[in-house]
Amino acid sequence: MTEIVKIIALAGVLTLGLLLAVVAGDYAPWYFAWLVGTTMIILISVSGAVLLETQEAAGNASREK
Amino acid sequence: MINPTVVDLSRLQFALTALYHFQFVPLTLGLTFLLAAMETVYVITGKQIYKDMTLFWGKLFGINFAIGVATGLTMEFEFGTNWSMYSHFVGDVFGTPLAIEGLMAFFMESTFVGLMFFGWDRLSKPAHLVVTYLVALGSNLSALWILIANGFMQDPVGAKFDPTTMRMQFKSFGALVFSADAQAKFVHTTVAGFVCGSMFVMGISAFYLLRRQHRDFALRSFRMAALFGVIASLAVITLGDASGRLDDLLQPSKLAAMEGLWHTTTPPAAPWTLFAIPNDKAQKNLYPIGIPYVLTPLVAHDFTSAIPGVFALERDAKPKIVNGMKAIVALKAYGATHDPAALAEFRKHENDMGYGFLAQRFAPDQDLSKVTPSNLPTILDRAARETIPNVFVEFWAFRLMVALGVAFLIVFAFGAYYSLKNELEKHPWVLKAAMYAIPLPVLTTLFGWITAENGRQPWTVFGWLPTFISASSHSVGYMVFSLVGFALLYSAFIAAELYLLFKYARLGPGYHGATVRPVESAARPAFGQPGYAADKPWQ
Repeated sequence: MTEIVKIIALAGVLTLGLLLAVVAGDYAPWYFAWLVGTTMIILISVSGAVLLETQEAAGNASREK
Repeated sequence: MINPTVVDLSRLQFALTALYHFQFVPLTLGLTFLLAAMETVYVITGKQIYKDMTLFWGKLFGINFAIGVATGLTMEFEFGTNWSMYSHFVGDVFGTPLAIEGLMAFFMESTFVGLMFFGWDRLSKPAHLVVTYLVALGSNLSALWILIANGFMQDPVGAKFDPTTMRMQFKSFGALVFSADAQAKFVHTTVAGFVCGSMFVMGISAFYLLRRQHRDFALRSFRMAALFGVIASLAVITLGDASGRLDDLLQPSKLAAMEGLWHTTTPPAAPWTLFAIPNDKAQKNLYPIGIPYVLTPLVAHDFTSAIPGVFALERDAKPKIVNGMKAIVALKAYGATHDPAALAEFRKHENDMGYGFLAQRFAPDQDLSKVTPSNLPTILDRAARETIPNVFVEFWAFRLMVALGVAFLIVFAFGAYYSLKNELEKHPWVLKAAMYAIPLPVLTTLFGWITAENGRQPWTVFGWLPTFISASSHSVGYMVFSLVGFALLYSAFIAAELYLLFKYARLGPGYHGATVRPVESAARPAFGQPGYAADKPWQ
């Protein structure tokens, strides 16, 4: 039951997000681009750090062999 | 009579305080989101080193934030003290975003900054992460409102002049907030701040790597900043192009000055001037070097549009100046008599009212009623020439901004590439370039500010209110005294900022309660030595 509630809540958030995107796309395209772009920049930066951890772990594993 | 020296001193004082303040702002805008990214990795991976990174860079952010807020306070008051006519004319419109900016900065941003610094042991990991994101969002939303206010100065939409109250009054808050200029300015400025923050973190990390200190800490910080910076640099160049396109549509005099265009271009072969020394007095470029076929697509995004030059813009301004003078004379008559005929005459020419104010400076005794057919041609020539900003300053501020912006993209790109390949330490030149580039993005944002605000001249509100009549009627002595006072005070702020940033950056992350142990510790004071018991300060 709680899973269904979670899914419905997330679907609500998604719908709200899409509505916001449509409205923002019409009236505030650059503000919308900033929101999407900043999120993307952060995600790429975070991915880079996670990748570094993976690279280091792989390097350590190959040295131990 | 308006004293031109007082106006120039008021401009100089505002430029000085704004340029000082703007040395702190971009770093805050960029560092907050980088801190949020670092803390995100900490929450995802649970690795302590990312918390240490957030703490260390957060400390440097805190120094910059505190001094930045202090330098910003005076500017809000300056509008009232030094620009009283401006404040009267547009206060109803300009004051609203400025007040919201104040609320954002002092309530949202400052509250969450406190929680971010002191809430590590009081909040759960996800809750603290949300707080860090709110600090980043709050600081950038503060910038949003000040740039909306600035957007109104560049492209005054959402308001209409009321001849009864003699001031601009709101027509549409939505038009003000969603104005194209405000949007383009916000994205370009904040993302330029991201570049400043990234270069700051990348450069200091490079310094540690070159000195073989705090290696794990520096490699991770460098990687995150380089990736953050490379995307932000690409974005800032794209968004700068969008700003230029808007200038072409809304502020052709700014664009003509930026590109050093004296004559209207002939598409598509019109060259983009790579180098020249514009001479404002002679109205020509000395030693120009241009690249053919680049200017038209760069500015107009097509191959057919002609871009108006300074001479054409001056010619086009003359009928507006004549109409504007009629509007001002009618406005004065309406103010004295409330005669409907005077109001009707004003309404006919009200869109050119600002050009009438502009001509006032050159009328005998600054009185438009003293304009005669014999002195009209001279007044028209001088006022028309006044509609163009200083071309030399605009041309070079823009070129330096663009050149440095492209250089940052190259540094970030190499930094990100070698970091992703784990080969950073094999290429010390990349590390050195990153380290020496630390102050340059902030300098570049100052060139950007000069491009935007010098290009707006001779207006405080583009097309409506000239700078010349916007200032307060202080004495020259008062202006000189306050200017010197501000210069000394703000220089002391900059010196304090640089001293603290250098001090804490040199000491490195091991000094700030972080768990990363520096390689060398001999030079540290006793309380910085490993084994020192923090709960026994007498040791």
